Amino acid sequence: MSLVNTPEIKLERVSMLYQTDSTEVLAVQDVTLDIKQGEFVSLLGPSGCGKTTLLRIMADLIQPTNGEIKVAGESARAARLAQKYGIVFQSPVLYDWRKVKQNINLPLEMIGMKKSEREDRVNALLELVGLEDFKEKYPWQLSGGMQQRVAIARALAMEPEILLMDEPFSALDEFTREHLNEELLSIWSKVGSTVVFVTHSISESIFLSDRVFVLSPHPGRLSSVVDITLPRPRTQEMRNSPEFFQLIADIRDSFEGV
Amino acid sequence: MNVQNVLSSRYFPVVVWVFGLLVVWEFSSWFLLHVVEASMAQSKIPYIHELVYTFTQYGYTLFVEGKATFSNAAIGFLLGATLGGLLAVLMSISKWIEQLTFPYAIASQMIPILGLAPIVYGIFRDEQIARILIAGYITFFPVALNMLRGLRSVDPTAVELMYSFAAKPWMIYWKLRFPAALPGLFSGLKIAAPLAVTGAILVELMGAQNGIGVLMLRNLYYGPSHNYMFWSTVIVGAFLGVVSYLLISLIERIVAPWQPDFRSSGGDD
Ligand SMILES: Nc1ncnc2c1ncn2[C@@H]1O[C@H](COP(=O)(O)OP(=O)(O)OP(=O)(O)O)[C@@H](O)[C@H]1O
Ligand SMILES: [Mg+2]
Repeated sequence: MSLVNTPEIKLERVSMLYQTDSTEVLAVQDVTLDIKQGEFVSLLGPSGCGKTTLLRIMADLIQPTNGEIKVAGESARAARLAQKYGIVFQSPVLYDWRKVKQNINLPLEMIGMKKSEREDRVNALLELVGLEDFKEKYPWQLSGGMQQRVAIARALAMEPEILLMDEPFSALDEFTREHLNEELLSIWSKVGSTVVFVTHSISESIFLSDRVFVLSPHPGRLSSVVDITLPRPRTQEMRNSPEFFQLIADIRDSFEGV
Repeated sequence: MNVQNVLSSRYFPVVVWVFGLLVVWEFSSWFLLHVVEASMAQSKIPYIHELVYTFTQYGYTLFVEGKATFSNAAIGFLLGATLGGLLAVLMSISKWIEQLTFPYAIASQMIPILGLAPIVYGIFRDEQIARILIAGYITFFPVALNMLRGLRSVDPTAVELMYSFAAKPWMIYWKLRFPAALPGLFSGLKIAAPLAVTGAILVELMGAQNGIGVLMLRNLYYGPSHNYMFWSTVIVGAFLGVVSYLLISLIERIVAPWQPDFRSSGGDD
C-alpha cells in the first residue's frame, strides 16, 4: 500500500452512543468516510446531527462506541500524540490569564519552539487574522468574533497537518465571514493541511470544500457526499455563478430526501 | 486644587465619614464619662486623643510586640498555605487521596483552637513554634479547600485543547490548572491571613513572653489604669489583621490581574 493512497482520515462504520444515567443518545450511526490528504471537506447538517461528535472522534477526544478510525494508517491517538492536530472549537476557549499574543503562543510553547521564532510566527498570525492592534489585550476585551479569530490563529500556529474546525465562523457577521472564508482558503493553499470544517451553512460549505459530507439527524448518519467541482482558487464572484446555485439546490435536495 | 476639586474627589465622602465618626466617638466618650458618669466609662468608649497619646508614648513597644506576633503568624501562614496548596493538588490528581484525607481535614477543623493552643504549647514549650503551628493550622484548611475548587473549576474544553497538543499531565497543570486556580487560591489566602494573625494572638494569651497578645493580657490584668494601653493593643491586633489581608490583595493584583473583579468598567484606567 503506497503512502499516497492511504487516506488521511478514514472512518469505518463509526457509531457513537452517549450514555447518561437515564438516557441513551445515538449521536452518530454507522458513518463510513475517507478524507484524502490535503483535502478540504465540510461536515454539513442541522443542529444536533452529530457534527461535533464526529469531529471529536477524529481528534481522539472521545472514542467511538463502535467502528474504527484511522489517521494516516494509524490510530487517532497516535496522530494526536504526534501533534498533528489543530482544533478550533465551537467556542473560542481562550485562556483568561493570557493576552491575545500569549494565547496564540500557547501551542508553540507546547512544541518547544525557540522564543525568537515564536515571536515572528505569532506576529504573522496576528496579521493574518487582522488583530495586530489587539495583541496586548486580554480575551475579555475582545468581541466574540475577534475571540474566534484568535482561536483560529492559535489552531494554525503549529501549521498542523490536520485542521479540525467546528463552526469557526458561525459567530461572525456575513462580511467578516466571507473575508475569512477566503483567507482560510489562501492559508490552506499555502500550508496544505487536511481540513475538516463543520458548518451548517450550505453556501459556506460549497465555497470552501472539495467535498461536502451531508449529515442527517436522529441518529446522525451520512446521507450524501457532494463533490464540489468549482475550480480553485475560489473567488467571491463564484458565489453568484449558476454552478454555485446548482450545488446549493443539489444539497438542499439531499436534505429533502432524508 | 480648588474647592470644587476637593468636593468632587472620591475620597471626600470617606474623609467626611471618618471625621464624623471621630467626633461622635469623642462626644460619646465625654458623655459617658461626665454626664452619665458610668463606672469604668473609659474602658467602654475611651477618648481617641488619649489613645493617640498612648501611641506616641508606647509606639515602639507596640511595634516590637506587634512585629513578634506578625512575623510568626506570617511564617505559619506560609507554611499552612504551602501544605494546603500541596494537598489540594494531590486531591485534584487522585480521588483516592481526596477520599482518604478530606474527612480528616474537615475533622481537624472541628477541634477548637482554644483547646488546641495549650496542647501545642505544652508539647513544644516554645511560644514561637506554637504561634507558627497554630497560624499554619488555621491557614491550611481554607487554602486547601479553595485551591481544590479552583483546580477543579477548569473548563473541560480548555483541557481538551491541551490534549489536542498532546500535553503531558504536568504541562496541563502548569499551563492551565494552576493559573485557573489562582482566583480560588487567593480567596482562600484572603480568608486565612487575618485568621492566622488572630490564631497567633490567641496562643500568646496562653502564656507567652512576647507578642501583642501578651501586652493585651497584661494590660487587661492591670486594670483601669492601663485601659488606654489595652485598647491600643486591640487596635494594633486589628491593624495586623487588616494589613495581612491588604497585603494578600495587593499580591493578588500583581500575580493575577486578569480576573473579572479587577476589570475596569471603562472610565478610569
Ligand atoms: N457529552 C454528551 N453526552 C450526551 N449526549 C451528547 C453529548 N454530546 C452530544 N450529545 C448528543 O449527541 C447529539 C449530537 O450532538 P453534537 O454536539 O455532535 O451535534 P452538532 O451537530 O455538533 O450540533 P450543533 O450544530 O448544535 O453544534 C445531540 O443530540 C446531543 O444531545
Ligand atoms: Mg456542534
